Amino acid sequence: MDPVLEVRDLSVEFRTARGRIKALRNVSFSVQPGRIVGIVGESGSGKSTVLWSILDLLAGNAIVTGGQIRFEDRDMLTRSTQEMLALRGEDVSVVFQDPMTSQIPVLTYARQMRDILYRRRGLGKARKREMSVEMLDKVGIPDPDMRVDQYPHNFSGGMRQRAGIAMAMLTGPRLLLADEPTTALDVTMEAQIIHLLREMQRETEATVVVVSHNLGLIAELCDEVVVMYAGEVVEAGDVRDIFHHAQHPYTRALLECDPARIEEKSHRLPVIPGDIPDLVQPPQGCIFAARCQRVMPRCLTEAPPLVEDGQGGYARCHLLAGPGHDVNWPPPPEVLTVARGAPATTGAKAVSSEPLLEIADLNVQFNTMGPVWAKVRGVKQPWVTAVVDASIKVHAGETVGLVGESGSGKTTLARAALNLVGSQGGSVRFEGQDIRGMAEAAFKPFRRDMVMMFQDPVGSLSPRKSVRALITEPMKIHGIRNVDPDHEAERLADMVRLPKALLSRYPHELSGGQARRVGAARALALNPKLVIADEPTAGLDVSVQGEILNLMAELQAEHGLGYLIITHNLPVVRHISDRLAIMYLGRIVEEGPADEVFAAPLHPYTETLVRGVPQPDPDRRRTHVVVKGEVPSLLNRPRGCDFVSRCPHARALCHQVVPPHVTAGHRRTHACHFPLGAASIPEKEGSSR
Amino acid sequence: MIAYLTKRLGLSVAVVFLVVLMLFSLLQLIPGDPATVALGPRATPEAVARYAEKMHLNAPVWQQFLIYAGNAATGDLGIDVFSERAVTTIILERIGFTLALIFAAMGWAMLLGIPLGCLAAVKPNTWVDRITGVLSVGTIAVPSFLVSIWAILIFAVNLRWLPAIGAGEPGDTADQLTHLILPAFAVGLSWVGYLARMVRASMLEVMGETYIRSARAFGLTQRRIVFGYALRVAILPTITLIGMGFGGLISAAVFAEIIFARPGLGKLIFDSVMARNFPIVQGGVLVATSLYLVVVLFSDLLIAWIDPRVRDSL
Amino acid sequence: MSVIPSEVIIVKAPDIRESAARERREKLSAFLRNWQGVVGLVLVVLFFVSAIFAPWIAPYEPNTMDIPARLSPPVWDHIAGTDQLGRDTFSRLLYGGRVALKIAVIGVSVSLAIGLLLGMIAGLGPRWLDNLLLLLFDAVRAFPTIILALATVALTGPSMEMVLAIVIITSIPQYARVTRTATMSLRNTEFIQAERSLGASTIRILWHHILPNVIGPLLILAAMDVPVVVSVEAGLSFLGLGVLPPTASWGTILNEGYLVIRDAPWMVVAAGIPLILTTLGFTFLGEALRDIFDPRMGRGR
Repeated sequence: MDPVLEVRDLSVEFRTARGRIKALRNVSFSVQPGRIVGIVGESGSGKSTVLWSILDLLAGNAIVTGGQIRFEDRDMLTRSTQEMLALRGEDVSVVFQDPMTSQIPVLTYARQMRDILYRRRGLGKARKREMSVEMLDKVGIPDPDMRVDQYPHNFSGGMRQRAGIAMAMLTGPRLLLADEPTTALDVTMEAQIIHLLREMQRETEATVVVVSHNLGLIAELCDEVVVMYAGEVVEAGDVRDIFHHAQHPYTRALLECDPARIEEKSHRLPVIPGDIPDLVQPPQGCIFAARCQRVMPRCLTEAPPLVEDGQGGYARCHLLAGPGHDVNWPPPPEVLTVARGAPATTGAKAVSSEPLLEIADLNVQFNTMGPVWAKVRGVKQPWVTAVVDASIKVHAGETVGLVGESGSGKTTLARAALNLVGSQGGSVRFEGQDIRGMAEAAFKPFRRDMVMMFQDPVGSLSPRKSVRALITEPMKIHGIRNVDPDHEAERLADMVRLPKALLSRYPHELSGGQARRVGAARALALNPKLVIADEPTAGLDVSVQGEILNLMAELQAEHGLGYLIITHNLPVVRHISDRLAIMYLGRIVEEGPADEVFAAPLHPYTETLVRGVPQPDPDRRRTHVVVKGEVPSLLNRPRGCDFVSRCPHARALCHQVVPPHVTAGHRRTHACHFPLGAASIPEKEGSSR
Repeated sequence: MIAYLTKRLGLSVAVVFLVVLMLFSLLQLIPGDPATVALGPRATPEAVARYAEKMHLNAPVWQQFLIYAGNAATGDLGIDVFSERAVTTIILERIGFTLALIFAAMGWAMLLGIPLGCLAAVKPNTWVDRITGVLSVGTIAVPSFLVSIWAILIFAVNLRWLPAIGAGEPGDTADQLTHLILPAFAVGLSWVGYLARMVRASMLEVMGETYIRSARAFGLTQRRIVFGYALRVAILPTITLIGMGFGGLISAAVFAEIIFARPGLGKLIFDSVMARNFPIVQGGVLVATSLYLVVVLFSDLLIAWIDPRVRDSL
Repeated sequence: MSVIPSEVIIVKAPDIRESAARERREKLSAFLRNWQGVVGLVLVVLFFVSAIFAPWIAPYEPNTMDIPARLSPPVWDHIAGTDQLGRDTFSRLLYGGRVALKIAVIGVSVSLAIGLLLGMIAGLGPRWLDNLLLLLFDAVRAFPTIILALATVALTGPSMEMVLAIVIITSIPQYARVTRTATMSLRNTEFIQAERSLGASTIRILWHHILPNVIGPLLILAAMDVPVVVSVEAGLSFLGLGVLPPTASWGTILNEGYLVIRDAPWMVVAAGIPLILTTLGFTFLGEALRDIFDPRMGRGR
């Protein structure tokens, strides 16, 4: 069969002040009709550039320097503007990454969808509306006849992405492109969108190209995979071959770094050291040579050979053919090919009995309107409760993972613990002393002992300060004068493995990983006892995530730090946490030793999180979606159990009564009336309210 | 929505109240007897006494203020010292000229400036864009009173094409319109550049938004994207700017009225200042500021009408 | 087959990220390539130099009358002609620049400083204070500049100090508003939260972390504000509400010229030119600075 889409030797450059960035070099792949092809790569791989090239919608400074993009046997690059206008949205359509920014806020869906159908002159306005309603219904928007007249901001995030898919499928395109379709969504929503995409594809038999960095999504959704690195295709092939018998060292390394693949608990994660090369002057030879564990001299000088597997798949590597051919490559899947370093002294971790941080029944409320206004409008509760009766303990030398989706209140809980937002009830104790609601002046000394690492690595650094000034600032703040700031800066840079040359840089000149290290240096400057880290791996590529987590583990082993790690990414914390706390809608619904919580969840929500993560294994695809719907707004918290509106096991009692926190066996706590596998666990009533 | 309106109206009333308070305190700050100050040193003692009586000058200051504020709220702005006519009546006679001037000036500035801004934004870095850029900065830089003077010099004194002085014969629409051309040109000129720049900047920003790229990906035509999508969003900051800049527009109109001897509100205030006729100054200033507040309120409501996000957050 | 240890491999990867110095050089060259910016800078320098050195440049005393030479058209001896009293218009314009300079420098710097302070207080302070200040700013802004000037001059009489006061009062709200908006959006950023979590005091946050991020846009705003301030002075003086004759100011010269517009039209032309050059200069400069430092408003992407 002829391929629907065939990209041949595509090369794209971007003109910049520094010179031409050779963003794509000789990219080739083809897509057979009715197949789902995933393009996977980290940031800077050029995967999105490929997608926008197909639509001829590259940024103004981009130049296609060579190649062809054949869609149904005609080259896209030679089509006229008129022909492209007729093609886009009709034959080729797109699902966008962030439904929050990719839909115009001032037009209704009816209008936006009618506009997409503008080429269908024969159809009346009423018919177009009908088609839009039908399509919204098909993607699972409830009450579509009313919803179609609403604006994007009236939709929740997940609904918006459903509407985005409806818009893309409206014209029945033969080729559907999807740009990171789930990246902006929560885990439970991601599963639903993957499911929907697969269903829509099956129904329309459209050909789909998905661009993503998410290996789980690729494994679950795609038939074939194209692996890109620094603007080149390093490997392509059937999804099973790629995930089970990766040929290229980069593909292999990428898969090994994915925390979701690592079964055992480990305090050290595999990493790919180094950075992607500068694409203004791409290196000769193999593009991955600088970071490859199996690099040979010829890799630096000679372009690697293209080795086909006979079934349409191929890889470019000297290990596979020619003089550098290694018959033992690739090693069996159990063998790690990337560095992991010596395991940290995990056994020596002293977990003391006295908790460092003890939060009990903490409540945080946010006002929704001013007190005067509330009185005028007769609103009795002009606030929402973002954190409800949360209790959590962190001991010295212990890592506690606090996991929840967006809106779960996990960041608020952390900020309340640090007195950065006010709290309305409960207690926060640090080394036994109640610090909740303390005046800032009295609290200041505590800020030396309990510090926070913020989510956005670059955004949490003051933009007009040099790295040197930033990492020595804690000493200035706390009036420590008997140290040499330059010496301290270097000591801290050493501690977080930050090259000293970066000390004179400014935050925007740092990469995500480097900025993260600066943040760590600032946090650790005054030898704190407790570190609260908010999404420590956010914004980092898979291959860099491990470096940061390993660094944190090393520092913990050295200084006996207590960690509270806040994240939405269960697989990441699962390996490094001693205990896990799962949060939903402001309440901690389950808490306990990490491996136990992961292996046998008690709360249905925990189960959906554990099962909700798509596995980077095409043989373990899920056939159905565990949980439906989305996290409700704090403004309309369900009656009874918070999770009742989405819980697959909900019974009558759950709709009536808020489940109390129950302590069950091995230091495990949960808040569920009917915990999963309850029969095997002896229960006793704990502190309930 | 109702709540928002009440809130906004309440705020506007508070601002007007503050304005009245400021005006009133200004009057109190002047040394000497207010009646004498108001009527000038040559006024007879009887006139002073009569004035003091009429203006409640014998009451405590706060009472005077409350009386004035109360009267102003019911539309009574006091009595003109010289003609003894109601200030409100005098202002109402004149304000039409000012409104005509402001609308004419804003009208032609918008008709020219907004399309120019769009054009420049759609074709950035072309000669259209460059010429628009230089022209708009040029017009912004020339103060409106200088435009007025030079316009008189060129079109009225040298070329004798258009009348320089007055507002035209009452009842003769054609004559009134010819008298409107020069002042409207002078007041509106800098707004052409202002609007063009503003629209260009916000259009450029909106054209870079993700949803514009998605519209392109759905194959929408350039025309629909520019006018149906981008302009609809880009016009929002422009509306705010017009509302906020309305004060400047009033200032320009005042200059134009004085220079062109056009009998509008600005000329009235100016003449009254020269004649030290305080009740009219006070009333005129109050009306001018209220006009500004009404326009700002209107522009906010217009934004709420266009932008559903704002509408729903009200 | 041998595996080379990674230290031996030297892959030529020139530094991707520029240093701060390089960025400054790039900004400078971007400025020099922007002809509007260069023209603006030249005009602004001309404005400063001509005003400061007016006594040395001016061919005549600004107030020396020469009745026989009255209303002279531009000739070699009087390149901008003379007025009704025979005073040399060119010399008077140079001295008028001193008035404009004084108003511009004092007016803009004082209102900038006060606006910055009030804006930071409003942006970081409690809600009620913010609302109160906003109400005040709104009330001041509700007065169109000229109306406020008319109202005050009606009571106090015209003077240069009055003009300064009016300029300062009417300029404060815009600086304060820009500062307030910037402060408010900054105060919820992660880096300010991070500073707070380290225990930084409010003063430290304001001085070290908010001010450096606010001052740039404010200075650009100030450059754009100079034309407004200079025009207000000229306009008020033109109406006889500002600087009083016989002091030479661009506004008073325009006024005198307007009275003889039929007999000596060159006077209003000559008096307008320095005003336009100055406003044009500052506007160009401000625009160029904004194009370079605020890429959002810049020319394309």
